[in-house]
Amino acid sequence: MTRTRLTLTSVVTQVFLVLLTLLFLAPVVWAFLSAFKPANQIISDPLGFDPSQITLDNFERMFQDVPIVRGFVNTGIVLVLKGGLTLFFAPLAAYGFAKYEFPFKDLLFGTVLITLMLPTIVLIIPLLLEMKELGWVNTYQALILPGAIDAFAIFWMRQVIAAVPDELLDAARVDGCSEFGIFARIVLPVIKPALAGLAVLTVMNIYNDFVWPVVIASSERMSTLQVVLSSLAQNITGNRIGADYATVTGELLAAASIALVPLLLIFIVLQKHFINGILAGSVKG
Amino acid sequence: MTTAVATRPAGRVSPSRRRPHTASSRRRLAPYAFVFPFVALFVAFSVYPMLFTLQLSFTDWRGSGAAHWVGLGNYTYLLQNPAFWSSLGNSAAMWALIVPVQMVLALAIAVLLDNAKTRMRSFYRVAFLVPFVTPLVAVAQIWVVVFDQKYGAVNSVLNAVGLPDVGWLVTSQWAKPTLALLFLWKTTGFIVIILLSGLQAIDPAVYEASSIDGASRLRQLRSMTIPLVRRTLLFSVVLQTLAIFQMFAEPFVVTQGGPYSSTTTAGLYLYNHITRADLGTGAANSFLLVIIVTVLSLGFVRLLRSED
Repeated sequence: MTRTRLTLTSVVTQVFLVLLTLLFLAPVVWAFLSAFKPANQIISDPLGFDPSQITLDNFERMFQDVPIVRGFVNTGIVLVLKGGLTLFFAPLAAYGFAKYEFPFKDLLFGTVLITLMLPTIVLIIPLLLEMKELGWVNTYQALILPGAIDAFAIFWMRQVIAAVPDELLDAARVDGCSEFGIFARIVLPVIKPALAGLAVLTVMNIYNDFVWPVVIASSERMSTLQVVLSSLAQNITGNRIGADYATVTGELLAAASIALVPLLLIFIVLQKHFINGILAGSVKG
Repeated sequence: MTTAVATRPAGRVSPSRRRPHTASSRRRLAPYAFVFPFVALFVAFSVYPMLFTLQLSFTDWRGSGAAHWVGLGNYTYLLQNPAFWSSLGNSAAMWALIVPVQMVLALAIAVLLDNAKTRMRSFYRVAFLVPFVTPLVAVAQIWVVVFDQKYGAVNSVLNAVGLPDVGWLVTSQWAKPTLALLFLWKTTGFIVIILLSGLQAIDPAVYEASSIDGASRLRQLRSMTIPLVRRTLLFSVVLQTLAIFQMFAEPFVVTQGGPYSSTTTAGLYLYNHITRADLGTGAANSFLLVIIVTVLSLGFVRLLRSED
């Protein structure tokens, strides 16, 4: 009796989860498949898919019309430099906060926590003016430096490093290890799993960042991938009436599909670290 | 000689013979060096702009020329402006459309994924996170195409089952739910993982004890699981409240705030001051938004405390 009820529950559970999974994956799968359809069929028959008619037309046209390669290059540069700054300096500062005492430490860390609460958009106007003052509008340093060492990263890493036993650090100190050496040779290897999680989150945030790049680097030469993508979506609203709608839609889906791929690949390879990182990080928080 | 020993790498067996004051002064100075790069960027690009916004919010500066002190003028202008209140109302409506549904749905999924009897749990965890890792702008574009009134896939499905077209993005009554759906789709997987972390922190012994007492799964859920993850649940609510009141890219890409400003959220309204170079008003709007978000967050925190 209990057995049959158990199986019934698990069948219902599976059906529920499978249906939800389909809903969650459908938009992405649909966009991806549609990008390979002839443009006019995307709008004349949005639900059909004829494998014999697969074409790369949308992609070819998109590469011609849209500076997407430029977008990828810019995003790549920002990703490497900004991501590198965060992944090195955030754990370093977090180590300072977690394992040392110094004057005004609590005040400083409290300020970090407050900025976590503030909407990012609040800083946009003054930052924009600051960039104008510095002559940094449409430059890489403007894309990279503000927000490079993320407050959330400090907060997360401080929790992780606080859990590293002091005895381990003192033992290294007795062995004559320098304070930075302790960080590089003891702390970093111990917190590697959390660092991997932080790496995924950082890459994701930088890759997907939109508000700041669209404000500060809107010139075509400096546009990041997301800014390039958004200008495409605005094309579509402009071309709604004309016969161009199909063409623009095809280009748009091709661009969106290409933009999805790198991040999905990184996520699928590193998903375990990412999920475990969030699981470990928020239990204590 | 002594310093050479002191800087010798870790792992050497030889006992250190450092002078105690050298080591301790180095230890005293080290944290400053460690936090300095962060503090420098933090002061330059967070603290300074923050103070600058405050000053700006009392002027009529439009990005060039002389700035005039207008006292609380920008604040009173906004507080008397129906467009400001309607942007807040739009964000509040989004909140109401999103948060209750998301919390129920995410909790249901998290409870199922926490149950060891559920199969393919790690597959589902990844699948539900796929929307979270896809670039928002790309997804927003997909929304534009899929929910198009004439050519969109969603209306094709509706027509196929005999239902009429819906103007998802072009009517003011449907535009908000359509954007809310985008936000739900994008972020629910992340909330599932956060709730899952709360569920996994529950001692399994609690469940075993109540199973012996003969409590049904549903009763277990209501009388034990939900109270035990209440903190995590409220944390998620605060997180999403902050995100919804800042929401900008979704309406910016999908609807440009329309139709009839029905999707001009608080975040988009603030951005519109920038595009009009009305920086003083924008700065004041920023601070009003900070105050509102802080009050909301503190309200939730108080809720958390009072029920403890």
